[in-house]
Amino acid sequence: MTCKDRERIFEDGTGAEWAALEAHAASCAACAEEVRAWKSLSAAAKELQDYSPNPELWTRIERTLREEGARGTQRAERKGWFSFLRNIPVGWQTALAGAFVLVLTVSLSWILVIREPGDKPGKPDSSLLKSAALREVESAETAYEKAIGKLATEAKPQLDDPATPLLANYQEKLQVLDSAIADLRAQAGVNPSNAQLRYQLLAMYQEKQRTLQEVLEMKKQ
Amino acid sequence: MGTMGLALPWKARITSAPREPATVGRWGTRVEPSEGLAGGPVKAAAVPASEDATLAAGCQSGDLHAYERLYTLHGVRMKNLARNILGSMVDAEDAVQETFLKVQRSITSFRGQSSFATWTYRILINTCYDARRSRLRKKEVAANDDAEETPRPEPRAPAAHPTLRMALERALARLTRHQRDVFLLYEVEGFRHAEIAAMLDTTETASKNTLFQAKKNLREMLEPPRPDRVPA
Repeated sequence: MTCKDRERIFEDGTGAEWAALEAHAASCAACAEEVRAWKSLSAAAKELQDYSPNPELWTRIERTLREEGARGTQRAERKGWFSFLRNIPVGWQTALAGAFVLVLTVSLSWILVIREPGDKPGKPDSSLLKSAALREVESAETAYEKAIGKLATEAKPQLDDPATPLLANYQEKLQVLDSAIADLRAQAGVNPSNAQLRYQLLAMYQEKQRTLQEVLEMKKQ
Repeated sequence: MGTMGLALPWKARITSAPREPATVGRWGTRVEPSEGLAGGPVKAAAVPASEDATLAAGCQSGDLHAYERLYTLHGVRMKNLARNILGSMVDAEDAVQETFLKVQRSITSFRGQSSFATWTYRILINTCYDARRSRLRKKEVAANDDAEETPRPEPRAPAAHPTLRMALERALARLTRHQRDVFLLYEVEGFRHAEIAAMLDTTETASKNTLFQAKKNLREMLEPPRPDRVPA
């Protein structure tokens, strides 16, 4: 052990090397001072320890974690419906919506044009509404449509300028639903007594109502 | 390197007695003998590796008690490290809070390649430097000042040697970021070089070398002008 080894030991000395340096320093004033000063720096570093606890800090952190956790849960729940759309490019999303409308139209056409002529004449068709019931259905339908219209008015500001991708998805869903509703209403105009058509229209209205309610709930939060 | 005669009141008062070599580190692994002798981690509370894994699992399952345990074990040390990097207790507490939030948001990406605590401290250090950068940007916008931002320590709890602490804080502010980080993590917070290497994405050898350079520079800064160096 010589004075030359000192810095290497300071940097990466083993326990045995430090012991040897200490022994050497006992008879070398320069090394003794260097070792003392080196260790004093470590001791001085402890002056930078301030481990005084702040009991309020955990309360703050806990509240933030809870809020973030709740937001995460809500996001996960809302994502359910159209979460797959996030991974699909916008062009494909539009095509998908178009395909959905097309399938809906074809299905309705099949119900109205292809299936009806096949029905046996003479037998009363249970799927046809009688005039009194038809008036009742149309009246209820009009009232329902007005109520949904009010919801749509409330949600309009959010949907016109969607702030999040989720709102944009809702907006696209509503456009698809409106398109399907318009289509069904046109069909219902041609064949107003078709109960199945009315059921389909009702289902579309219900879906639109649910979607608008979800949009409005987002607004509240 | 010449004989050091520090122009500080602690020269005579601080004990220079070698520390007890620690045999077991905080994460249940052996501490190198040189670390114990040369001023390494001796004060750290022992947190077994199994508890670290339990904590990680608890946090991954969203258990708030696990986060509370993490805070109990590391909160004050995290705050102290952040305080020494940012120079303000308010900023330090904000950084710790932000770190917990980041841990919660990115816990699914924790793969156990390092200890959970090490991973958390890594997030804390990055959060502190993000906060410093953000503060610098604000400062630049406000004063159009492009000088390097250094922490301006605010008054804190009374210490045994306040003059020494202030001198050390000023000297630390003049070190490079890497040297300051290694010095704070090793000498102040008592982490081992292996842990520091994992936190700062470097090697154990580089961490040892950086600490050596940091201490050499600090000595230069804290050393009083010697007669043979005083200009005529």
